[in-house]
Amino acid sequence: MLDYILIQAANGLVIGVMFALIATGLTIIFSILKIVNFAHGEIYMMGGYFGYYVITLLGVPPFPAVLVAMAITFLFSIGLERGLLTPLYSPRIERKADYGILITFGLSVFLRNIAIILFGPFPLRPPSFIEGSLAVFGGLMISYDRLVAAGGGLLLLVALIWFLNRTVWGQALNAVSQSRESASIVGINSERMYMLAFGVGGALAGGAGALIAPIYSLSPSMGLVPDTQAFVIVILGGLGSVSGTIIAALLLGISQNLFIALLPDPSRGPSYANAFGLFIMMLVLLFRPTGIFGRHAVAMD
Amino acid sequence: MRAPDLALVAVLALLAAAFPFLVNAYWLHVMIIAMMFAIMAASWSLLAGHAGQFSFGHMGFVSVGGYTAGLLAHFLGLPLPLGMLAGVLAAALVGCIIGWTCLRMSGPYLAIFTMAFSEVLRITIVTEVEVTGGAGGMSVPQLFHARTDLPYYYLILALLVVSVGGMMLVVASRWGLFFRAIRENEQAAAAAGVKVTRFRILAFAIASSLAGLAGTFYAPYIGILTPDIGSQDQMGLVVAMAIVGGMESLPGAVAGAISVEFLIQALRSYGQWRLVLFGALLLFTMRFARNGLLAPAWLRLRSLAAPRAAALAKEAVR
Amino acid sequence: MMNGTPPLIEAIGLAKHFGGIFAVDHLDFEVHAGELVGLIGPNGSGKTTTINLLTGHLRIDGGGVRVRGQPVAGLPASGFAGLGVGRTFQITQLFSRMSVLENMLVPGLARPHAHKTHVTREARRHLEFLGLAALESLAAKNLSGGQQKLLELGRALMLNPALLFLDEPFAGVNPYLRDEIIRFVQTLHEEGRTFVIVDHDLDAIQRLVHRLVVMSRGKKIADGPLASVRENQDVIKAYSGT
Ligand SMILES: Nc1ncnc2c1ncn2[C@@H]1O[C@H](COP(=O)(O)OP(=O)(O)OP(=O)(O)O)[C@@H](O)[C@H]1O
Ligand SMILES: [Mg+2]
Repeated sequence: MLDYILIQAANGLVIGVMFALIATGLTIIFSILKIVNFAHGEIYMMGGYFGYYVITLLGVPPFPAVLVAMAITFLFSIGLERGLLTPLYSPRIERKADYGILITFGLSVFLRNIAIILFGPFPLRPPSFIEGSLAVFGGLMISYDRLVAAGGGLLLLVALIWFLNRTVWGQALNAVSQSRESASIVGINSERMYMLAFGVGGALAGGAGALIAPIYSLSPSMGLVPDTQAFVIVILGGLGSVSGTIIAALLLGISQNLFIALLPDPSRGPSYANAFGLFIMMLVLLFRPTGIFGRHAVAMD
Repeated sequence: MRAPDLALVAVLALLAAAFPFLVNAYWLHVMIIAMMFAIMAASWSLLAGHAGQFSFGHMGFVSVGGYTAGLLAHFLGLPLPLGMLAGVLAAALVGCIIGWTCLRMSGPYLAIFTMAFSEVLRITIVTEVEVTGGAGGMSVPQLFHARTDLPYYYLILALLVVSVGGMMLVVASRWGLFFRAIRENEQAAAAAGVKVTRFRILAFAIASSLAGLAGTFYAPYIGILTPDIGSQDQMGLVVAMAIVGGMESLPGAVAGAISVEFLIQALRSYGQWRLVLFGALLLFTMRFARNGLLAPAWLRLRSLAAPRAAALAKEAVR
Repeated sequence: MMNGTPPLIEAIGLAKHFGGIFAVDHLDFEVHAGELVGLIGPNGSGKTTTINLLTGHLRIDGGGVRVRGQPVAGLPASGFAGLGVGRTFQITQLFSRMSVLENMLVPGLARPHAHKTHVTREARRHLEFLGLAALESLAAKNLSGGQQKLLELGRALMLNPALLFLDEPFAGVNPYLRDEIIRFVQTLHEEGRTFVIVDHDLDAIQRLVHRLVVMSRGKKIADGPLASVRENQDVIKAYSGT
């Protein structure tokens, strides 16, 4: 039993890292564009498929394929931002919040449906990063793919923190997140920052999709759950706080998997695991009804 | 009401009454489904368009209505009409509870909260197979023992007319004014003496009970109830219908629902592509015509027709 | 107690803090029917917060509020409106996509037993008074800044309020409109309405009010007839920032 719980905790850690990638993307988009991206989960899904086709059609090996998938998702996201989100920056458009909600919600529906056509409704699984499993203490086995996903995810998070803190682009993003007006006064082109934020946020989600594909396989509806889970995390973790988001993501991943492990009827575990996260989120929103989105600046800690 | 409106209503009433005799059984079925979606889209546009509460949990209330009726018939043998009544009441009650819990939320938070509500509900229905039949669905007894869909057609027509008519009365009344005042500025509405809590919950209760009503009709009509009806894809369809019609116009939402449903069916040889099409239609409408396509088009037509009608009337007098 | 009628509104040890700072620091303050009170103080001294507390727009952290002698703990803003306590906002708050007339109808129809035709007539009368009658079917967002201020005043009047709090009615208003607003307030006061006016335009305030209350850092530092408060050293100090 203890073994089982440990396995679930380890799985939770892997999931937690993936959640962290998706949720930090969501946070970055929110703090710069001031919208909640309801299509974020679908971008994650697209990233997974990009990775799959880069491997199967172009013959790129799995590891670099993740980076290629992220680059494609980056460009793809910027395309979406240019096509759909520019009205958000126009002073003539009223009710921007409503527009942001509906346009990204519409986008999520659109991407899910087009994915069914382009990629088919059936789950696809790209080749493993590394076949086999690692035997840890006791009878514990963890597949190498999970280790790769967790390790790769952590690397990406470290790279993100470096990017936000140590590069000119990251600092410009930080400035825009704190005040659009003053950022534009010091000569930052905020429109370019919106593109960058949406692209980087998308690329992070896309990277998560590509990393997780060999473990859970790909399907057009795979974005639905992580999308809502990412909201939970962002709301729990404190907006803009990248480290808060990462901690919340790990906590949610682990507690969700422990919840599965401890549920008396194991057959129901997997499906209620998703409900668990959503339920937590509903509770959090009840007590912090403006979420933690309430603060607007991104703290690059 | 202006003359073009009256003319339109008269033509539509005639058309609606005669419709079953003008088309084959398949298109009659499509029309029945379309009208059921019209109730969902119109009630969503009351809640989101008029009252400003962007709920993505609307289909959850459709499930509440449908499953209440279905489960009561299944386990207690309750006659279906009674079960349907119970379904509507249950949806109204859950609507009050959800409306009350998200009183302090607005914008994306409310959208996320309600989306989570309907997903939790859907997951529960999928998982509790012994009770609900899970993803495979549960069978629900028929409402009418007729060989055709004719009785269903007139029933849903009546439900649509009554519920949309009722909502239009609400929108035109002081309640509708208060809904819009709260949507525009909650603080100012409170300062103006509007009981914000009461009217926010009221908007939720009305919209939810009508969504539940659509659900109680759907279950016996289709004969099988699956958790899919409460999915986010269905939610997307309903949002698309309301937005194409014109989100702040109830007749627009009805027109949007019927035209989108017919479009989807007419294009069914294109398979999955038609669903992409409605997603694209939604994006296009939002991006380039935020007031919707149908309601503004009608207003345009009416303003073109009105002077001409007046001129014709003058001719006639002479 | 002196003459038997309780004050129209009364704050007793009223307190509100944001984080560690008291925005309103145990304030005692009362307004009697028929008064025309000016409430002044430097930026951030807690004037708007006081109005918010006295109209149910903020939750009270300490002390209490009475309206006509009745404690009104926990009453929502709409309840204050129902008791005839109206207000305007420092930053104008209108129903921007609704017409001018509809803006006026909202408070009118929110009153119990309100009748639509009667309320509409009343709204038009007020719009006439404020010089907005010609604009009644325009969307509120399309009004000029000054017209929006007038509409907000008109909307408050539709509550048929006994007491009106005006938060900076003279801010961003040209001299001509300023004189008009002074005239409106005087007329309404003569009709028997009570006013509390917050503003930084001390000239306009002096022309209007009979009594002046001064706040500084959440506390009341002076309260009395106009002439005596003007001489008050504390007030001069608070305003000169020392
Ligand atoms: N919602 C809030 N959250 C945090 N602090 C607040 C809030 N509202 C007011 N404050 C603080 O309380 C203090 C009093 O603010 P208030 O708006 O009442 O001042 P004021 O006297 O109306 O000033 P002004 O003349 O500039 O309008 C200020 O220090 C302000 O920063
Ligand atoms: Mg102020």
